[in-house]
Amino acid sequence: MSDSTQNSTVRPTGVSFSMVLPWLIAGAFLLVMPFVFTSNSAITIMNQMAITIIFALSYNMLLGQAGMLSFGHAVYMGVGGFMCVHIMNYVEDYSIPLPLPLLPLFGGLFGLGLATIIGSFSTRRAGTVFAMISLGIGELIAACSIIIVAFFGGEEGISGDRTMSLPFFGNEFLQQIDVYYLISFWVMLSALLMYLFSRTPIGRMANAVRDNPERAEFLGYSARWVRYYSFCAAGFFAGIAGGLFAISYEFLTAENLGLLLSGEILLITFMGGVGFFFGPIIGAIVFTLLQTVLSLQTELWQLYVGGLFVATVMFFPGGLAGVLMMHVPAFRLGNAKMLIVPYIKTLIPAAIGILAASGFVEIMFYSRHAPVGEAEMVLFWTDIDTSSMIPWSVTIGLALICFWITKRNAPDLVETWHRANAIDGGDA
Amino acid sequence: MTAAALELNGLRKSFGKTEIIRGVDLSIAPGERHAIIGPNGAGKSTLFNLITGRFPTSGGKISLHGHDIVGKAPFEINRMGLSRSFQITNIFPKMSVFENVRCSLLWSKGYKYSFWTMVSKSQELTDAADAILEQINLTARRELPAGVLSYAEQRALEIGITMAGGADVIMLDEPTAGMSHSETDYIVDLIRKVTENKTLIMVEHDMGVVFGLADYISVLVYGEIIATGRPEEVRADPKVQEAYLGAALEEDH
Repeated sequence: MSDSTQNSTVRPTGVSFSMVLPWLIAGAFLLVMPFVFTSNSAITIMNQMAITIIFALSYNMLLGQAGMLSFGHAVYMGVGGFMCVHIMNYVEDYSIPLPLPLLPLFGGLFGLGLATIIGSFSTRRAGTVFAMISLGIGELIAACSIIIVAFFGGEEGISGDRTMSLPFFGNEFLQQIDVYYLISFWVMLSALLMYLFSRTPIGRMANAVRDNPERAEFLGYSARWVRYYSFCAAGFFAGIAGGLFAISYEFLTAENLGLLLSGEILLITFMGGVGFFFGPIIGAIVFTLLQTVLSLQTELWQLYVGGLFVATVMFFPGGLAGVLMMHVPAFRLGNAKMLIVPYIKTLIPAAIGILAASGFVEIMFYSRHAPVGEAEMVLFWTDIDTSSMIPWSVTIGLALICFWITKRNAPDLVETWHRANAIDGGDA
Repeated sequence: MTAAALELNGLRKSFGKTEIIRGVDLSIAPGERHAIIGPNGAGKSTLFNLITGRFPTSGGKISLHGHDIVGKAPFEINRMGLSRSFQITNIFPKMSVFENVRCSLLWSKGYKYSFWTMVSKSQELTDAADAILEQINLTARRELPAGVLSYAEQRALEIGITMAGGADVIMLDEPTAGMSHSETDYIVDLIRKVTENKTLIMVEHDMGVVFGLADYISVLVYGEIIATGRPEEVRADPKVQEAYLGAALEEDH
């Protein structure tokens, strides 16, 4: 499964409609979404999603493009965010005429500044050395949040007020929806710039250094400097994400710097797919949905996200984007229709099996944690009594039957898959 | 007399207490095709790695066109006009064949660490990369990931990458290792074609290739050069015959 970010440079020079189209669709999508989901909470979720998209794309500049596994990327987002809250407060205290939409740029510059310092020694080596240094720096700066209280605000964190800045064409960003459009603008701009970065000589050499640093050195490029420039650029965009976070929440704490967030962005990026430019975008959308929507349904949502992550790593190393792109050859050959029936026969039992298994887990969790004497719970819109054996046996039985059907039908799917991807598959 | 393309003076290398290269002196004139031969473990690859900056030296001097290159990093040496291939195929397996070649052109075309130009916008770059693909006969494979090419094609690609940067001193480490006869012929023709007017230094085991390509041969045995000269002189040298070459020559000719 090769990398689309590398293979799509085949066309002649210039800008073609097919290149611009995805960006136009994305832009239109961003404009229309608030009319579809109008509630304030939905808009907050979309804001969170957009911020995560920038952060994940920035992380993928390291992991996917330049082959650097970082365990401390939240630091650059966090520092950018903290700086933006401080700037917000300066703007308020000294009435500095700074319009709010420009604020993320400062977040980006501070992310960049920190990355130029840290990167100067952390990018000398890739691989384990880089990963360990990033982990150490992450811990170090997270620890600073308690030590340097003036900047990080200690355990309470720091807060600001975005509405006090210079009105932007009369807009004071009182509503979430105003913030939504501000963030949408930045997400489009950042994504476009990051995409273009991957097409520049330095972006191309980042791929080369990822694949084979030694060969790159014998082509006249210092692997270390290529990594350093990628690292700085990633720090810049992480800082922009931090600035947007500051605008959206007006509040940052040590959590915004911590290992948890650094690990989460690794998970998001990998789940979305590191080999494709749009992979992290999918990852960010799916993860934010799980985090917000699924967490309302169950306390165990992290268990399921963890399961999804493990399944992705084991079965689809290309991530969700990789799964999507796997189907392109079959579509090109006009064989995609062959796959529909085997998919239904395999995936529907698999989905029911997973739901039943998670139902079993939920019942177990409830019966262990519910107050004594409570045995009534609601599962999949059904009232059930956990004291009787019926729900237990139904869920586990259903799960086992469905997984058995899945397992039985899977070879058929695999075989059809191979036929659909063979050149003469349609006639066979 | 102009400076030698590559000159080694008393070059030494030890790994721990073991001395692998024991004072090598060698001078290679511009435009010369020089083969380094010798039995297994003689230090041929180590010598290559010392010259190209992959390993630090333990003593002695290396100069490229009269400039000292000891202690320089591989990328600096490459920028001074020396390029190499590897004994084990060393390409960018996940990138397309075209991308492989284009990346190898970037530095020499002056793109450096630029992040304000789009590589795909440069017609010059695309044309130059396509010209190299044409030269190494891989135009039909242009869009494939380099990792899926056949072994001989990967070797050809590696030679293409090595050449692309426009270096005038080319070092090839066993370019025909592990190839069938027809593949070897193909690679030898390719090498002859692409190294015209350049200085070629190669390590090679196949005596047919060595005598077919090289103007001069040096024989490296246990970290020392025991003979240097024209192929026929080296072949006639009793020391060489004794050390290594005799048996191989009998077989081949």
